Amino acid sequence: MKTFLLTFILLAGLNAAEDKPPCCREVAAEKPLTDKSLYQIESKWTSDVGCEVKLGVLRGRPQVVAMFFASCEYACPVIVENLKEIERKLPEGLRGKVDFLLVSFDTERDTTAVLHAYREKQTLSVKNWTLLRGSEDDVRELSALLGVNYKKDAKGQFSHSNLITVLDAEGVIAFQQTGLNKDAAETIAALQKLPAP
Amino acid sequence: MKLIFHLLASLTISAAVDASPLVKIPAGVYKPLFLGENDAKEIPVAQFLLTDAPVSNGEFLEFVTANPQWRRSKVKRLFADENYLKHWAGDTDLGPQCDAAPPVTWVSWFAAKAYAAWKGGRLATTAEWEWVAGAGFAQQDGKKDPEFLSAVGQWYSSPAPARLPAAGSGRANFFGIKDLHGLVWEWTIDFNSAIVTGDARGDTGLERQLFCGAGSIGAKDTSDFPAFMRFGFRSSLKASYTVHNLGFRYAKSP
Repeated sequence: MKTFLLTFILLAGLNAAEDKPPCCREVAAEKPLTDKSLYQIESKWTSDVGCEVKLGVLRGRPQVVAMFFASCEYACPVIVENLKEIERKLPEGLRGKVDFLLVSFDTERDTTAVLHAYREKQTLSVKNWTLLRGSEDDVRELSALLGVNYKKDAKGQFSHSNLITVLDAEGVIAFQQTGLNKDAAETIAALQKLPAP
Repeated sequence: MKLIFHLLASLTISAAVDASPLVKIPAGVYKPLFLGENDAKEIPVAQFLLTDAPVSNGEFLEFVTANPQWRRSKVKRLFADENYLKHWAGDTDLGPQCDAAPPVTWVSWFAAKAYAAWKGGRLATTAEWEWVAGAGFAQQDGKKDPEFLSAVGQWYSSPAPARLPAAGSGRANFFGIKDLHGLVWEWTIDFNSAIVTGDARGDTGLERQLFCGAGSIGAKDTSDFPAFMRFGFRSSLKASYTVHNLGFRYAKSP
């Protein structure tokens, strides 16, 4: 009920259809997913804007994906900055056609409200940025699919791989880059190689 | 709904011919091998249940028979690589080269997880698994059990036999659990929590960048070579990988 209200309040402010966040867009039924598509997983996720979704709703546009947690002070702000840099440097033809996805490790503290505050602090546009939280099992499964290793420490912080993944419009891993502050051009080149939707 | 699920799960367990029983493991404290500055020196493990042996080919055959999406020809590549169950003759046929009794291998993490869920259970956490695996034959602390230490050391230094012995044929440890050492490696639910970047403090800037907090991670006790190898092995895995000597057992919360 709470989620519903939140959704209602948040969506009431969005008038045009294209202003809907990526996770709240209508997905048209299409051909079956390929064998390697991450969108085959059935897990349910909650977005900071109140949508309860399967990852499959993101089908149709390439996604630049990273896992993070909001209270991270070292690597995550850098990863998010790296994603923003990719967005800034997108060539004309790709602008507005690529989405960004952040999924939290922190199933306890990163509530939808915390994620939403993070979105505002980082000024991540609702139009093409999705912030998701999920159950511990589902986060573990997604991390396994992406190849992100992570471990919670005694203070509730997470040690984790720093990995940026490009999913094609069908949810198949098209490119991955490990490490911080790598050249955004490589990720952009990978995005440019994807077939036009 | 959950109740029905559990009832169904228990029915399947009792219907299986030679299913490994779940054994109650008392709560304890696991002391991890790798410690970062902020890592817990001790991880409490709550009481749980664990099968006394790894899942066998025969048991896994029941699973794929009941769940066609996990058959060799049906499984999605996302969930298992092309070697999945390659030692079997067919989808639901072990064939003459593969016995029912040995632990099932060539299974991915996703397949192991799905099997555990089908049984109404889950995979053990690494902390749970290591807590049980640290027990000796005659006493809870395996480090004080010379007979156990030499048996474990022997396995980790010898190659896997061409035909694996039956699951559950090994000697039971202090908790009544068999074959944690000496038969196959095993999947854990959080196998990808092992963060090893080679020579911890001597690593290069590049390696350190791959992991947040990696610079602080080092081995607590490098003399525990088997545990060191298990961590290294886990960190080398991806969830869709299947390996000739990697199987699993399942756990359940009480």
